[in-house]
Amino acid sequence: MRSSALVAAVAAGFVSVFVALAPGAAPADDRHPAPKDAYAYIGWPNDGEVVTGRFKVWLGLRNFGVAPSGVDKPNTGHHHLLIDVGVPPLDEPIPNDRNHVHLGAGQTETYLELPPGRHTLQLLMGDADHVPHDPPVTSKKITITVR
Amino acid sequence: MIVRVAAFLLACAIPGTALAQDAGHGTHDMTAPDGQTAPGDERPKRMAAPKDARAYIIWPSNGTVINGGKFWVRMGLQNYGVAPAGVRREGTGHHHLIIDSELPPLDEPIPNDRNHLHFGGGQTEARVELPPGQHTLQMLLGDADHVPHDPPVTSSKITITVR
Ligand SMILES: [Cu+2]
Ligand SMILES: [Cu+2]
Repeated sequence: MRSSALVAAVAAGFVSVFVALAPGAAPADDRHPAPKDAYAYIGWPNDGEVVTGRFKVWLGLRNFGVAPSGVDKPNTGHHHLLIDVGVPPLDEPIPNDRNHVHLGAGQTETYLELPPGRHTLQLLMGDADHVPHDPPVTSKKITITVR
Repeated sequence: MIVRVAAFLLACAIPGTALAQDAGHGTHDMTAPDGQTAPGDERPKRMAAPKDARAYIIWPSNGTVINGGKFWVRMGLQNYGVAPAGVRREGTGHHHLIIDSELPPLDEPIPNDRNHLHFGGGQTEARVELPPGQHTLQMLLGDADHVPHDPPVTSSKITITVR
């Protein structure tokens, strides 16, 4: 209970009320720590790769572990694949939409089907509640072409 | 999250109305009462795995020659998920790397020694150091209690050479 205010009200000498107030918004220092050498990368496809149709993506992780969403263990998280989008705000849960794919069952690879053209892919780990770690465990953003 | 939810504690004491206030932060004791446990020699029930769950060693590939004995093994998993040891969740397990050894018995916890490495932190890569010569590597998934699934989620066994 960091930065909580303790208010003690003593009325007429026989009623004592102790109220601990926590801030309404999740502070940034609430993020799960990650070691500096935790390293995420997209093992496949390579940066600049040309792929066709449905393709496999495998997600690499070093000095860190995988746990399904909802599992709160130090130095673990689950993979998120950011598609054609930048890194979202780091102090809140990663959005869940077609640009932010959650691999909440602890998967380390998946298949994607994207329309023809250029696309970017980036990996971002999230904790039990889908919030990125501090520092964030994220990969380099790669660009691929779908034919 | 450590303090994501506002903690609210209210203690009120009025003379004559003794209100015992337990802050409620302690974990409730969920231990099952003794006496209804299974007989001691009963094997743990193996966790079911789908037939298409497959483990495979991404790197090194079979026949790879490695100069110097230290290398990263990348462990791949299809149609299944990773969870740390101790976490019992359907559709998950943690990686084990079996070095220079056959598959252990499948109905008991995987041994924990230099031939059976456990990645109970949910790791998907392993830093391994091996002496010069031929070595075999094989992956085997284990459940929360390190027991292989049914059917076992295992990779093919590869042979590598360390120079
Ligand atoms: Cu998530
Ligand atoms: Cu194990």
